[in-house]
Amino acid sequence: MQKLLETVLIGISTGSIYALMSLALVLVWRSTRVVNFAQAGQATLSTYIGFEIASRSEIFWLGLAFAIIAGALVGAGVDYFFMRVLFKHAISGPAAVVAPVIATLGLLGLIRSIVGLIWGGEFKSIAAPASKDGFTIGQTTIPFSALNVLIIATVSLILITLAITFQRTNLGLSLRASAYAPEIAQLAGIRTARTRTIGWAIAGGVGGVAGMLVTSYNFLSPYSLDLLLVFGFIAAVIGGLESMVGSVIGALVLGIGLTFILNYIGTSLVFIGGFVVLIVVLLVKPDGIMARGKTRRA
Amino acid sequence: MRKKIALFILLGWLLLVIGDRVDELRVYQGAQIAMYTIALSSIVLLTGYSGQVSLGNGAMMAVGGYAAALTLNNLGSPVWFAFLMAIFFSALFGALLGTAAARLSGPYLAGTTLALAVGLPAIANQFSFLGGEPGIFFDVGLPAQSLGEEFTQYKWFFWIATFIALLSLFITSNILASRFGRTWRAIRSNPLAAELSGIHSSRMKILAFTISSALAGLAGAVLAMTISLVAPGAYTLTLSFALVTGAVLAGVSSLPGVLLGALILVAIPEIADVLANSWGGGENFSNYLPGLIVSLLLILSVIFTPNGPGENLRRHHHKKASEH
Repeated sequence: MQKLLETVLIGISTGSIYALMSLALVLVWRSTRVVNFAQAGQATLSTYIGFEIASRSEIFWLGLAFAIIAGALVGAGVDYFFMRVLFKHAISGPAAVVAPVIATLGLLGLIRSIVGLIWGGEFKSIAAPASKDGFTIGQTTIPFSALNVLIIATVSLILITLAITFQRTNLGLSLRASAYAPEIAQLAGIRTARTRTIGWAIAGGVGGVAGMLVTSYNFLSPYSLDLLLVFGFIAAVIGGLESMVGSVIGALVLGIGLTFILNYIGTSLVFIGGFVVLIVVLLVKPDGIMARGKTRRA
Repeated sequence: MRKKIALFILLGWLLLVIGDRVDELRVYQGAQIAMYTIALSSIVLLTGYSGQVSLGNGAMMAVGGYAAALTLNNLGSPVWFAFLMAIFFSALFGALLGTAAARLSGPYLAGTTLALAVGLPAIANQFSFLGGEPGIFFDVGLPAQSLGEEFTQYKWFFWIATFIALLSLFITSNILASRFGRTWRAIRSNPLAAELSGIHSSRMKILAFTISSALAGLAGAVLAMTISLVAPGAYTLTLSFALVTGAVLAGVSSLPGVLLGALILVAIPEIADVLANSWGGGENFSNYLPGLIVSLLLILSVIFTPNGPGENLRRHHHKKASEH
């Protein structure tokens, strides 16, 4: 019973970080129709900046704030200087379908190399903002710690802020409108290009938080966020790539599921488990759990 | 056909002559170029012809490498049989994955294969019979005695790799020129029209995935041979990225282009080394400069010549021709 409880709790903590990454992917997918593989690179760069600030000031939260700002700036920059140029060269021919995917891949490599040139490949770590020691219930200590609580709280705060932004503000309305029907949104007076860049900025900031939170209990290297990208993508696919709520649910389900595999079967099957989930979802319910009989758009 | 065979034999002879004239390092790089040629042709077949993106060819190479090494070490079989097993198992794996992939489009397929590229090599760390992080040895043995005392190990690698590369290029070019190649191009350029003209598109896509994986697996075994080792560290995400870059640089739908792509992939670390030395950069510099150059090339070529330099030239000619 106790093992079950701790598995679910740790699963929620892990899943909530996946949720941020999958949200970032979904936000960009909705507005640009590109799965942004560079998201891992953007998050890595913002996390390194957050790491610099956090280790110099010895305040984790200051580092997190800078990671969000850096993530947003990088995200907006990628859309403004890169995606716009890419789409301006209206591409035809055999590479047309694959060009955006390959472009974000190139960007991932580019950002990673720049990070490597500046900070090198050795593992870095950030002092966690809360204790990593598990809570003690009665006689036993469970691996669920104050840090996990803090992670869940931070992610919840961000999710609530995002939900309010999207549902209650003009910016949220224009973001949703430009994603749903760009031409009509434009006719209604929304500057869709600018709105899209704002969407990329939000995604970048959210990705920055995900990177900082992963790094609070793990080490940081130019490659350390690759797995986060993969699990974020799987979570986004579970949610159907379109739905923000779906991607969060998908991430929590994935987080809990993988923690179950980790605790009850073993580390060796965690990745295989995630991969099997991805394949099964794609084969059985390719529109994701939130689909309402609508066909997939891409 | 006869002309093509003659061309390949001539090319092979030329390479052997060149292999005798240059120093050891160049011979070794020649083997690497041959390896990349096989790996890139697997991407040309898959992406350039059937229009499916795979970011996981590094993972397919790992399947081939491990299959070859396990066969050679556990069965004590001849080397050629190990290479055959590499082809067989990676084709099998590719067919399984292709069955899922045929139902996926663009971003879904890219993401799935990316997941594979990130995760599959890491799985080797978890199972003891795969040797973990240090990997397992893959030793094709010393060159035959009859080739003489002077014949070095690297030259032996070069001979084997070149032979396999030429053979697979020959077979691939024939497949692409056949009914299959035409069908794949039809599916890529207009899936609906292809279906309407009676093409069973998902079956053809699975076939493309299978053949492409077989080629990638073969390349993986050749890579294992040149470093005498199969280890997760050899089949990283970086390798998968490099393959995509090489294929895009040389024009993703041009088979002869893979030679150029392979040459560039082997040349980039060399150039980066020279640059790093002349700028007096530290360890970070020589570690990450190749990646920087590869990604920059990839981005620039995707933006400016997405279909490869050859395609642009051809279009230019086409325009000129239609103006007259």
